[in-house]
Amino acid sequence: MASSIPKSCPECGTANRAHAHACRQCGAPLIANWQDKPLLRNKVLRRTDFMAAARANQKATRRLVIILMLTLVILGYLLGWSVQAMSGNFPEGAEDIWFASRWGVQAALVLLVVGVIWSWISFKKGDRIVLRMTGAREVTPDEEPQLHNVVEEMAIAAGIRKPRVYVIGTDALNAFATGMHPARSSIGVTRGLLDTLNREELQGVIGHEMGHIVNWDIRYATAVGVIVGLIALISDGALRSLRYSGRSRSSNSRGGGGALVIVLFLLLFAALAPIFSRLVQMAVQRQREFLADATSVRLTRHPEGLISALEKLALNARPFKGANQATQHMFIVNPFRNFSEKANRLFATHPPLERRMARLRNLGDDG
Amino acid sequence: MEIIGWGLVALVIGIPLLGVTLYNRLVNLRNQVRNAWRQIDVQLKRRHDLIPNLVETVKDYMSYEQETLEKVVQARNQAVGARNPEEAIAAEGILGAALGKLFALMEAYPDLKANESVARLMEELSATENKISFSRQFYNDSVMTLNNGIQVFPSNIVAGMFGFHEATYFEVPEAEAGAPKVDIR
Repeated sequence: MASSIPKSCPECGTANRAHAHACRQCGAPLIANWQDKPLLRNKVLRRTDFMAAARANQKATRRLVIILMLTLVILGYLLGWSVQAMSGNFPEGAEDIWFASRWGVQAALVLLVVGVIWSWISFKKGDRIVLRMTGAREVTPDEEPQLHNVVEEMAIAAGIRKPRVYVIGTDALNAFATGMHPARSSIGVTRGLLDTLNREELQGVIGHEMGHIVNWDIRYATAVGVIVGLIALISDGALRSLRYSGRSRSSNSRGGGGALVIVLFLLLFAALAPIFSRLVQMAVQRQREFLADATSVRLTRHPEGLISALEKLALNARPFKGANQATQHMFIVNPFRNFSEKANRLFATHPPLERRMARLRNLGDDG
Repeated sequence: MEIIGWGLVALVIGIPLLGVTLYNRLVNLRNQVRNAWRQIDVQLKRRHDLIPNLVETVKDYMSYEQETLEKVVQARNQAVGARNPEEAIAAEGILGAALGKLFALMEAYPDLKANESVARLMEELSATENKISFSRQFYNDSVMTLNNGIQVFPSNIVAGMFGFHEATYFEVPEAEAGAPKVDIR
């Protein structure tokens, strides 16, 4: 009989459900003698194999993106519904306020289409602007032969065209990737990173960035950002307009009290949706970081390089000016935060470094 | 009755569509394998081009190691002159081992390592060695994906109908497997 007391993970300290086989954050096995039990062994090994890690991750992000889309659709429906109710355009034979709103369906569809078109425009314009914002400078193979070689090695391992190579002139340790398509992408590293890391560590970091490129993370982040922005915009607009129209119009609608209920619904949803969608966005972001780490290992077959690079990054935590709110998610470690900071974990773009290292160590054990 | 009719329509449209998708995927995978094989060739050629330079630069410093240098040159010429893949794989294996030995010996010459043009050449060569092994790794990964596609249901049916064949993995030659790992900081 299993107890219901939550178990804390011996590797990273995360609280887990009582019956969990493996830690939900770092994948470390939680049950003693797991090697002796064949069923458990399979379960744990599946979590430590990097191909399986990548698959599980893809599934998790897909689920999160669907949740975001649903939020947008529900918001659109509520909006159309309450407008229809308030303006008194009830469908034929509607008994009371609980009808299937045609306007609601239309509003939801319009929002979806707007989301798709807006994302498309950002895909076209995004990366040039981002490169300019970070203040990165493109370097030639003659200036930085080793960096170019490492980037080319990782591009060969990933089977894509070699990205353009950029250097940011700052002492802070960081790296980023951008580009909406694997065939036209760029990788940038800071001067401090080049000076501090050895070749193997640099390879791990470049592998991580290559992971963002081959997993289409930049596109993912852009599309998710657009949906979240749209939800925030619509919610804000709804809240503002309700404040005015609520007073003047509710009197001439048919089901007076009923319409108010819908409006209350919308009000509540519009107030919560932006916060909720922001949380989901950050969760997607963190999943993609773990995925890029796993991809780096798939490319280099050498987790130790990335682990020791992350250790150095953790020791040299130092913010730099080239980054801002719009670009922070692109970097290998968050350019603002103290990386081990536990507070505000839900709103962080990156998982804590200890946790990423714990997961990588797990990948390494399996061989 | 109507439901059955629609179901039939869905089947008639759906099955060929699925077939086309699977076929295209297999073609993409096969092309990826072929392209990956060519990548290995490109990197091997680059290694052949770099070796004469390296030997020319280090031979004054390493006058006591003439034998090793000669072996490298000999192995390189054999690899360049290989006429078929089997010969090439064997020759590249010998060349890899000879290079590994040379790299290990060079560690013993501090003034050699201090020389900037030698350092640059060494970076180029070790990068090329890495690229060779990464292109092999990508080739093998591509072979695995293609073979999976040929073996799993339902794409195995399409593969059987259009004669897709499983590709063979690139095995690391025996001689090279034991070569010392080179790492310059």
